[in-house]
Amino acid sequence: MNQFLATIKHELLCAKRERLPQVLLAIFLAMVALSCFIGWATNHTVTDVYNEAVKQGITTAQNPFTGVSPLFYARNTVIYIVLIGALLAIVLGVRSALRDRKAHVTDLLLSRPMHTPLYLGAKLTGLSIWLLGVLLISAVINWLSISAIIGHPLALPDVLRLFAFYGEAWLFLLPFAALGLLSGLYNRSETNALLIPIVIWSLLTFVIPQLGTAEHPVSLLNPVPAQIVSHGFFFQVNQTVFGPLSLTEHFKHASGIILQDSQVSGSILMNQLIIMLFVLASVTLLLSTRRARMRGELYE
Amino acid sequence: MSTQQNKTLISVVDLNHSYKEHAVLKHINFTIAEGEIFGFLGHNGAGKTTTINILTTLLQPTSGEVKIFGHSVIDHTFQVRRHIGYVPETVQLYDNMSARENLEFFAKLSGVKNVRRAVAETLEFLGSEDLADRRLGTFSKGMRQRIGLAQAIVHKPKILFLDEPTSGLDPEGVQMLRSIILRLNSDLGMTIFMNTHLLSEVTKTCTSIGILKDGELIYQDSLARTLKAFPDQASLEDIYLKIEAKASW
Repeated sequence: MNQFLATIKHELLCAKRERLPQVLLAIFLAMVALSCFIGWATNHTVTDVYNEAVKQGITTAQNPFTGVSPLFYARNTVIYIVLIGALLAIVLGVRSALRDRKAHVTDLLLSRPMHTPLYLGAKLTGLSIWLLGVLLISAVINWLSISAIIGHPLALPDVLRLFAFYGEAWLFLLPFAALGLLSGLYNRSETNALLIPIVIWSLLTFVIPQLGTAEHPVSLLNPVPAQIVSHGFFFQVNQTVFGPLSLTEHFKHASGIILQDSQVSGSILMNQLIIMLFVLASVTLLLSTRRARMRGELYE
Repeated sequence: MSTQQNKTLISVVDLNHSYKEHAVLKHINFTIAEGEIFGFLGHNGAGKTTTINILTTLLQPTSGEVKIFGHSVIDHTFQVRRHIGYVPETVQLYDNMSARENLEFFAKLSGVKNVRRAVAETLEFLGSEDLADRRLGTFSKGMRQRIGLAQAIVHKPKILFLDEPTSGLDPEGVQMLRSIILRLNSDLGMTIFMNTHLLSEVTKTCTSIGILKDGELIYQDSLARTLKAFPDQASLEDIYLKIEAKASW
């Protein structure tokens, strides 16, 4: 237990002192803060146009933002988590694994009375605590900025939903942190260690959803999940095969439901199950890494 | 320097190791008694590091029996690891952490109970208290070597394995390290296994030697007996070359 806690503490200390994760963290937090402003600006612009249209008698329809949840302002955060958050998790994981190899401490670690899965598990736990901290700060930023925009404190059910969304985001980021660690352990060069998980991330984020679910490429960059093409045998087969692998789409769908996005409907259960399966698979892969693998030479 | 010969701490019986088809260690047999400073000699590529990797449980041998404190390095790795400390040839550690932070981390991984005290005592023993709160990134090679040694002794192991400890050190660093090795042996009673190809170091530090050539142990005896057995040779270097030449026949 002492070894597990020591490794977690060590991991947190190292992550705190490394520059690249700090830069990514600053970008991520800035984007989260900005996302509320973007949501507010969208609302403000549409409402202004709507009011002008009503004044000119062009429309009698309801303002599209009437009755919209205040959590609407946080919806852009979903895409920042998919884009910047996942990259941050990968970078943290890769650097964590490479740190030991570059510092030539692997043999020192492995000559201690400690199980390899315990060490790797502690490393991942350390990273996940770090990510949780980042997401908690983001949640507070969102909470404060939404309250400022709507002019009163966010109601308790909405606060709970906001934190539930960040909990979901934390689960979503775990496989990427584990992927980064795995890549850092398995690759012989630093460049490949960083490049390969980024390729996998882009496959999961852009290519697989495109094959299985997305009608329009641009929809992949939206916080709302891509529309599933319901017609055509080819698309339906693709959807069946690749749908479960579209991790980011499942996260977007689950987030949409949690944040009460009016454009998203359905059950969260399947999304939750698939995200959990990704977490389980990546953690299992990490913990089954052999000792000999950890001693591999790094050639850059 | 302790010359007391006590119970056997390291016993190696018919040790073989191969990388794919290439045999690196061939039928190695030796024992090392408590309190010895054993110099393991051989040219580059002779198999010294492979031997140390097996003894420190980092590598599983292809065949043979290796016991440390009576525990097999294959079946009882944890018991073995509790008794050993290891300093590899290249000591880096974590650059963005202080010496104290590095040592505390390794002490905890070794299961040390009172970590702060153990680290303070280790730094004091090495005369490195002034380095405690400086980050490793600012250290010279000699300073790193001292902290590398500190991480290996912070849990007070019974046996210390050193892989080419003086490699890349300036004469002052070599002298400092030599005096630490001797004090570890005499003051703390540590048995020391040292890979080296610097014969001058062996003469000044070791109590016994083994010579490895192309994966075969061609000689093992105490340093005193070795020097006595070759009275016509001017130095250990001459003795080493003579033993090697004899083995080639």
